[in-house]
Amino acid sequence: MSRHTADTPADPVEDYLDQLFVTLSGSPRQVRHTVAEVEAHLRDAVAEGVAAGLTEPEAQAQAVARMGPVHGVTGRGAALTRPSLALARRLALTAALVGGAGFLAIGAAGLVARLLLAVKGDEFLTAPWPAGTYTRADCARWLAGDPGTHSCVTAMLADHAGDFLLQAAAAGLLGLIALAAYLTLRQRWQDRATLTALPAGTAEALGTALAAVATVVCLGQAVDTEMVQHGIGAGEPWSLGAAAAVAAAAFALALRRALRRAAPA
Amino acid sequence: MRSERLKGHLDLLLLSVLSRGPGHGYEVITRLRDRSDGAFELPEGTVYPALHRLEEAGLLASAWDAVSGRRRRIYRLTLAGEGALAEQSQQWSEFSGSVTRVLGTQAAVSPPRPALPGVTA
Repeated sequence: MSRHTADTPADPVEDYLDQLFVTLSGSPRQVRHTVAEVEAHLRDAVAEGVAAGLTEPEAQAQAVARMGPVHGVTGRGAALTRPSLALARRLALTAALVGGAGFLAIGAAGLVARLLLAVKGDEFLTAPWPAGTYTRADCARWLAGDPGTHSCVTAMLADHAGDFLLQAAAAGLLGLIALAAYLTLRQRWQDRATLTALPAGTAEALGTALAAVATVVCLGQAVDTEMVQHGIGAGEPWSLGAAAAVAAAAFALALRRALRRAAPA
Repeated sequence: MRSERLKGHLDLLLLSVLSRGPGHGYEVITRLRDRSDGAFELPEGTVYPALHRLEEAGLLASAWDAVSGRRRRIYRLTLAGEGALAEQSQQWSEFSGSVTRVLGTQAAVSPPRPALPGVTA
């Protein structure tokens, strides 16, 4: 665990405590107390070994051997102390946070789109397909879903707007589930190995970058639609762009906070 | 004794060791080893999750104290711990008594096996 130089000779007790520190889970206080407790135990055992005639290194090695593997102290399986598992858990947390926030943003875009729909109508939210790209059967299906209208294009717009709102609601729900999983797992995986498997602010930086790209793409598409199609179908990219911009701002604030927390005092 | 077998009874043993007076983790291990004449050897670190679990269950309480210039966490039995020790001791006595009776009966009724023809001991 620690790097040894000529000035810092190998000390099995220190190495053991380092490994224990990065493996223990629980609140910072619980971790500090357990490390202090085990250190007192190891120092007692070393003192006993030296009193019995062992050299200091022999006594240290014996004390660590008698203590047993670190996962015995943490009360968790040996597999849970593997660095690769800590990295996998950190990646899962990152994916849950970024993915959850992304899906939640799409859900929020659905709410924005619903407002736009109420104010500016179906045609602003989604553009109709060009003539010749849909069949009579498509028309019949859209009209069946909207019995109050006799226009195929109007029924198509209502159908497409409904699809977008439904998909956005489903994405929002998925986002809430992913964020709930993130909060639950983050509470459970409090060990140092998991917390330090990736640099501080990695998830927030990734979220900021992805949300910023989504903002530029969606808002660019909205402006293009306004200019080329005179706003027909611009509602979708506007709502997605607005939600992505809010997500990017939230991730950027979280990134700033994470970097401040990680910076040495 | 194999540590796997010992772990099943660790809570009872820890409560019993601490019923003789408060102690820190290293003392608990030392008492356990001494009182079993060295029969109960287990990785010493495994005692800590058990102590913490018993404390969470309210059967032990702990406080930090400075002993010989070193900070140590001293564990003591709570009233609930005393009750749990009495109950678990009773259960163990009944169980071990039953096992002993079964083994004793078997030893008494089982005649020595005759040697197979052509096989010498």
